[in-house]
Amino acid sequence: MTVMITGAAGGLGRAFAMECAARGHDLLLTDLSAEGLGRVSQGIRRLYGVRVFEKSCDITDERAVDELIAYANGAGLRLDMLLNVAGLDREGGFLERGFGDISAILRVNVEATLRVTHRALSLRRADGRFHIVFVSSLASMYPMPLKATYAASKRFLLDFSIALGRELERENVSVLALCPGGMPTRDDCIRAIEAQGFWGRATTTALETVTRRTIAKALRGKKVYVPGAVNLLFSILGKVVPPLAVAKLVYRRWSSVQKKLA
Amino acid sequence: MKTVVVTGATSGIGLAACRELAKLGYGIIGVGRNADRCAGTAEALQGEFPEASIAYFCADLSRQAEVLRVGREIRSHVEEKCEGKLRALVSNAGGVRSYYTTTEDGYETVFALNHLAGFLLSHALLPCLKAGGGRLLVTSSASHKGTRVNWRDIMFRRRYNPLAVYKQSKLLNALFAFGFRDRFSGLGVSAACVDPGLVRTEIGLKDTGGLVKFVWGLRMKRGVEPEVPARAFARLIDAEEPPRALYYRGAKPARHSRQVNRKNADRLWNLSEQLSGAHREEAKT
Ligand SMILES: NC(=O)c1ccc[n+]([C@@H]2O[C@H](COP(=O)([O-])OP(=O)(O)OC[C@H]3O[C@@H](n4cnc5c(N)ncnc54)[C@H](OP(=O)(O)O)[C@@H]3O)[C@@H](O)[C@H]2O)c1
Repeated sequence: MTVMITGAAGGLGRAFAMECAARGHDLLLTDLSAEGLGRVSQGIRRLYGVRVFEKSCDITDERAVDELIAYANGAGLRLDMLLNVAGLDREGGFLERGFGDISAILRVNVEATLRVTHRALSLRRADGRFHIVFVSSLASMYPMPLKATYAASKRFLLDFSIALGRELERENVSVLALCPGGMPTRDDCIRAIEAQGFWGRATTTALETVTRRTIAKALRGKKVYVPGAVNLLFSILGKVVPPLAVAKLVYRRWSSVQKKLA
Repeated sequence: MKTVVVTGATSGIGLAACRELAKLGYGIIGVGRNADRCAGTAEALQGEFPEASIAYFCADLSRQAEVLRVGREIRSHVEEKCEGKLRALVSNAGGVRSYYTTTEDGYETVFALNHLAGFLLSHALLPCLKAGGGRLLVTSSASHKGTRVNWRDIMFRRRYNPLAVYKQSKLLNALFAFGFRDRFSGLGVSAACVDPGLVRTEIGLKDTGGLVKFVWGLRMKRGVEPEVPARAFARLIDAEEPPRALYYRGAKPARHSRQVNRKNADRLWNLSEQLSGAHREEAKT
């Protein structure tokens, strides 16, 4: 089995790569950072001895993605799974950011993710089942003031993922949307979680558990995965509480968290 | 003048050890992870000991590339300024994490920092230790007792428990000293590990939160000042004879866990070589 992972040099991508390698899967890893990619690939080879193919790529660049696909074809790779991990998470009010930052969120989280998915589907095996995972977010469940663009981009992925899954069922392709709350991927994320106090910790789920269960669920053909009991509850609340009320609540919470972090 | 390298030298036990050693007239090479703290500490120590030779190097030791880089830098420094000779390497940097996180190499952070970094750095500095008839001292802990190496999942990808991970890392420290002794004592480089006792430092408050922070906040109050273990390090380094025992509590030989044996030490050594590419690095030098 061969798994392709985007954003593989980041915290969540690395954890996914380790999980897949521990399961004995070969890997096709990509990330913007060639250096980071080289480091994690070397680490995986040394620890697990699986085959790791690596190619850095700016997935917002059409030509670069062409090259990535050509590279995989050249290596004779056929894929069984695609993990769309690459994404941008930038916080702050709409007016506090330059528009470049805002459109970058859309370009990476939405456009580039769909581009990679579209192209990677051409690399799937003729005879086997293919699995796609979109890393959405708990933020996809509500309108989120101060993270408006980010949350909406993740909402796009959630809806898209469910729709695409229905569409591709007859192609023997399964699609899973992963909607995690906070994840302690790096030391600064841990500090951010701590800054949110009790709720930060309550909505945080362990990285190693999330990655393990995500792969297991994807293989079983599940459609949506919200890790953690508290998060699941929040996601259900998000469906019953009116959006205007949620927006008000979220706004209050994020303003106070951002004050603490500043 | 004799020179020592101390990692984790910007706070806690490492910093106190630098101070004790500077007092005895040793040249100090400290390693820390934060550039400002490194510069500030070097300046403060220099102020206290105007005669001493003090140099600080900054590196995030949880990252292998950084360990290799700083290892090369320290080696050229020692070759230029200290006749290529080191009296000791105190492998002391360490930490705790509340959650499973990976380093850029994909390895669990506490495993990478508390164990692999010292392994790799000792290889980089081996020529200097050999030339100086030096000693390797690893900061282990009594918490290495009552646990085993989780060989099936040494990076705790399943059921991450901060205390279990930390305890294992301190057991790995003792096993590393064991393996190092086996391989290099014939070359005149000795090795031992030191249990500093319970020490009042902020180790459990950094990069952690919740329960870990709370528990350490209570525990640290009962600890001794870092000067106490620091004096033990200074004595083991300053003593004419290299340390005979493998495991010390303070400066006195003490009993270690039965898990600290050759079988485990060899297994860890092989794994560490595989994970760090240390044998290849050594072949290059
Ligand atoms: N305190 C105790 O009761 C106790 C008991 C048994 C064993 N130990 C051991 O003693 C050693 C020192 O601990 P301590 O209590 O003195 O704690 P500490 O004050 O936190 O010292 C740890 C040192 O390591 C440095 N460090 C942390 N992460 C690093 C990284 N990624 N790269 C480079 N340096 C890094 C820290 O730098 P910063 O200054 O920038 O934070 C600090 O200088 C540890 O190995 C610990 O396991 C402590």
